[in-house]
Amino acid sequence: MTQASEQQRQPGWPEDRARGVAGGEASRAGAFADDVEELRARLGAYLGAQVGAAVTVDSFVRFPAGFSWITYGVDVTGYPPGSRLILRMGPPYGLYAPYSAMPEFKSLSALQGSGVPVPRVFAASDDPAILGAPFFLCQRVDGDTPLPWGGQANKGLDGARRESLARDFIDALAALHNFDWRATDLASWGEGVSESNVAALQIEQWRERFQRWAMRPHPMAHRAFAWLSLNQPKAPRLAIVHGDYRLGNFLERDNRMTAMLDWELVHLGDPVEDIGWAFLPQYRAGTGLVCGLASEEEFLSRYEALAGFSVDRQALRFYIVFSLLKLGLTHMAAARCFEDGRFDDMRMPAMATQMAPVFRQIEKTLERSK
Amino acid sequence: MNNSLPRLIDGMVATLRREIIPHVEGDFARGQAFGVIYMLNSIRLRASWSNAFLVEQIRALEEASRELEAVVGELPGAPAPAVRAPPGVPTESELEAMRDQGDARICELIDWLATDGKTAPAATVARADEIVARYIQRQLKWEISTSAKPMFDEISRGSD
Repeated sequence: MTQASEQQRQPGWPEDRARGVAGGEASRAGAFADDVEELRARLGAYLGAQVGAAVTVDSFVRFPAGFSWITYGVDVTGYPPGSRLILRMGPPYGLYAPYSAMPEFKSLSALQGSGVPVPRVFAASDDPAILGAPFFLCQRVDGDTPLPWGGQANKGLDGARRESLARDFIDALAALHNFDWRATDLASWGEGVSESNVAALQIEQWRERFQRWAMRPHPMAHRAFAWLSLNQPKAPRLAIVHGDYRLGNFLERDNRMTAMLDWELVHLGDPVEDIGWAFLPQYRAGTGLVCGLASEEEFLSRYEALAGFSVDRQALRFYIVFSLLKLGLTHMAAARCFEDGRFDDMRMPAMATQMAPVFRQIEKTLERSK
Repeated sequence: MNNSLPRLIDGMVATLRREIIPHVEGDFARGQAFGVIYMLNSIRLRASWSNAFLVEQIRALEEASRELEAVVGELPGAPAPAVRAPPGVPTESELEAMRDQGDARICELIDWLATDGKTAPAATVARADEIVARYIQRQLKWEISTSAKPMFDEISRGSD
């Protein structure tokens, strides 16, 4: 286990991650093998030990996607569960470090065979003795990733392609929120969480992070927290919340969504939280459509019919403000991470420059809600 | 430095873009280079040679001016600089500390208005809230207007 923390687990937050969010600053690098060749050798040895035979790692490539976990595409020979794998690693210097692979691994394991398209997961561990950092291995699903900031891959995200992806995107979210988590290993996440306190729990979790990440006073963050505390909705139900459900986090192939990715913020919460996040202007790819896929009315109409409850519009506004704050704080985390010298990734200070535009959007949203 | 800071940054950006990035292998590495360009563009909008750097030059000029003043009286028609360093020029870190102290008090006021403010006259609370909102808007507007155009597509894909 990595970076043990003395802080108690917070309700609704996967117990495996409670260590991670509370552990303070991670020491730089530690035993983490940044070197691709070393990682490759260690992975081959690990997989070989798992199957009791020699496993060859044929190729090992780091992907540029993702701002937190490091993602590698790995081709192997001699590993019966699969030959084209994804290795995800939570480096000790990452955005949300220290990490645990268990929430993502457990939720993806529980969701196998549900209506949510997820990759098959093969192995995971938080033991740094294996690869130097928490990691999990899963199937490498075919597909491309349309990104929220446009570019070549988004060309033609319209017509039949858009409509098909919109259906898959909305249907998968409804399926996730209809998922009977109580009948799985995820049932323990519900300890201490209710429809009435789930918003307050989320506010407190992110307030704690804000206090840890802020490098100077931020009046807009205080103003947003004050507004959120005064306007907490009651959840229509408790559901597994993806936490980062948006354009840029799913794969598509032949106009179909092939897998929902990046489950690192998964937790138990109000399903409207995922909708608020998906509704953010940052993910509209300049189209005005929710994640560049559907109008707000189309999205809500289809989602409500499938999820079986009506989305309270006041609650949605609450979760849009909450999501904007969460996004702003994530940019703050990037600034902190870079400033502390834990990570020299130039995407971190680049992300940090977006704090002010996000805070400006919170201010405008609050003004409109008066 | 013999060049202006903006021109130096423009030159660095152009060199990275034209001479270096096309020869870098790997999407991630090129994405990092685009990240460097983006941050250089951002720095360009806010940076100048520091107060400390310039004030020291002015102080040197002042010292020379005072010494020359004692001499030029005996040199009819000779030009003299007559420079005086402005008193109490704050350093950048002093200005930053001043801003942070002020913002910390604004944060305390926001928290107070949201809790203890419930027992204060509503109209006065609303007026204070409006002033705080206007202050925040002004600060954010300034910060955004001095930020470079985002390059997230280039940074993510490693190509432009």
